[in-house]
Amino acid sequence: MFNQLLINSIIAGSTYTLIALSFSLIYSTTKFFHFAHGAVYTFCPYFAYLFTVILGMPLFISIPLAIVSSALIGILIELSIYKPLRRKGTTPLILLLASLGIYIVLQNLISMSFGDDTKTLRSGIVREGLEILGARITPIQIAIIIVSMLLLIVCRALMRYTKMGTAMRAVASDPDLAVISGINSDGVILFTFALGSALAGIAAILVSFDIDMTPTMGMNALMMGVVAVIIGGVGSIPGAALGGFLLAFAQNFGVWKISSQWQDAIAFIILLLFLLYRPYGFFGKKIRKVEV
Amino acid sequence: MDYLLHILIMVCIYSIVSMSLNILAGYTGLLSVSHAAFYGIGAYTTALLALNAGLPFWINIPAGIIISGVIAFLVAWPSLRTYDDYFVITTFAFQIIVFSILNNWVSFTGGPLGLPGIPQPDIFGIKISSHVSFLIFVLTFAVLTYIFLNRLMDSPFGRILKAIREDEIFTTSLGKDVMKFKLTAFIIGASIASISGSLYAYYISFIDPTSFTIMESIFILSIVIIGGAGNLKGSIVGSALLIFIPEMLRFVGMPNSIAANMRQIFYGLLLVMFMMFRPQGIMGKFAFGKEGGVKEEVKKDA
Repeated sequence: MFNQLLINSIIAGSTYTLIALSFSLIYSTTKFFHFAHGAVYTFCPYFAYLFTVILGMPLFISIPLAIVSSALIGILIELSIYKPLRRKGTTPLILLLASLGIYIVLQNLISMSFGDDTKTLRSGIVREGLEILGARITPIQIAIIIVSMLLLIVCRALMRYTKMGTAMRAVASDPDLAVISGINSDGVILFTFALGSALAGIAAILVSFDIDMTPTMGMNALMMGVVAVIIGGVGSIPGAALGGFLLAFAQNFGVWKISSQWQDAIAFIILLLFLLYRPYGFFGKKIRKVEV
Repeated sequence: MDYLLHILIMVCIYSIVSMSLNILAGYTGLLSVSHAAFYGIGAYTTALLALNAGLPFWINIPAGIIISGVIAFLVAWPSLRTYDDYFVITTFAFQIIVFSILNNWVSFTGGPLGLPGIPQPDIFGIKISSHVSFLIFVLTFAVLTYIFLNRLMDSPFGRILKAIREDEIFTTSLGKDVMKFKLTAFIIGASIASISGSLYAYYISFIDPTSFTIMESIFILSIVIIGGAGNLKGSIVGSALLIFIPEMLRFVGMPNSIAANMRQIFYGLLLVMFMMFRPQGIMGKFAFGKEGGVKEEVKKDA
């Protein structure tokens, strides 16, 4: 039992980390709450479903294509809505409200075109998982763990050692100063949206191979990512990983004693406790209302 | 005819809940996405008291107000320490927790099956059962809520709330206990939301957790924002608009399965459009903007 819970925690932690990473990139660069990210996340496995099951493409073509489509949706949202809004000099709260609207529209588009029932990307017989120390783990779950760890390292390296990464951090810390220094901040933000949306798409495809997909999967996944980001501290990549795993461990070991329906409640109670006692998370800066 | 009355009753119920959210979002500037939770707390309190104890509505509705107010205090006290997007997330978290309780505590709330057979309210022995009498019943509450909140927002208390919305630091420097005022506003908003929940429970006579989801909270917030933040009349106009127009879709022959999605797409799109072109809403006095920018636009329009 303990080993199984441990493995479940690691799997859940890996997906939370990936979602947290994708959200954190966008949030720290643009400083507003991109709710529609949840819908972008949902779109990716549905695109994969469209290409594979309906159009009959092989998986190795349809999955990259779905991830690219996801990134394109991110870019489209940024160009058509967020960028014009930013130009007008609006505040993060207006952007937040707009993104809520976008989320609602996109989620309903998905459920209108694909139906509300559960869809699956898996085909053929479900293979029995491997057994490690008395716990079961399926190959796709191993893939989830490996892919998220790899992407985590790649993103960390990207932020640290590339020119684009430096530019992203510059825009994140002071957009005006970044523009003055000759950084094309709109371009950087566009790149961030593409990258974040693609990462979210990858996470969603992995999850949907493991536990299938529904049109509303995005909101819940996004919120878990957000909880992980807040626990770890906004803007910190190791923080996202730490937050993701802490959350997963708390949820999975929490259900040892109580029923598993309460996982959402556990996550949000942890969030409330953090917001109350440590709103800047483990690695984040303190938030203040006024910045003089 | 009954159909038209049904829509009018729903407009009244949503007017009450959106006016109560307007106190928070529009007047005080606290963007809360937990209003469906308080609406639900009112509905469940009324349903449970009416079903298990057989109490009349004039006890159930105040009971809902009190329970909702107490819970609002417990939630607001920690969450009001956070600002802007963090406040949104905190209220979001509370909304998910309440939904989770309604959905999972089966022995108490009936879980996903909900609570059927809520008895109709009666006044001095007269049962309120027809659509017309229900409309009068609900309308009375809506009008009383409007008068109460209108007076309250014109009072010194209301003016301080607006001052907090415009400039919190400055209001503090005038010696006002900002936290206390925010807390009071949150409690009043939540208590009034519970009234509309009670009315909804009586009217539909069946409640289940799906009426009190985060999507419902966002819908109520959209009514406030689209109708106009900081204007009670705006909330009424917003409710009418966002309930009437999607109903029209039925008449153009749209099947029911798509109609539910279309309704949501409609208000989602409307929310985005308003944020882009008229962030203060139809009759709004306030947009979620800081100095300059948006407020200048508001002045130009006025």
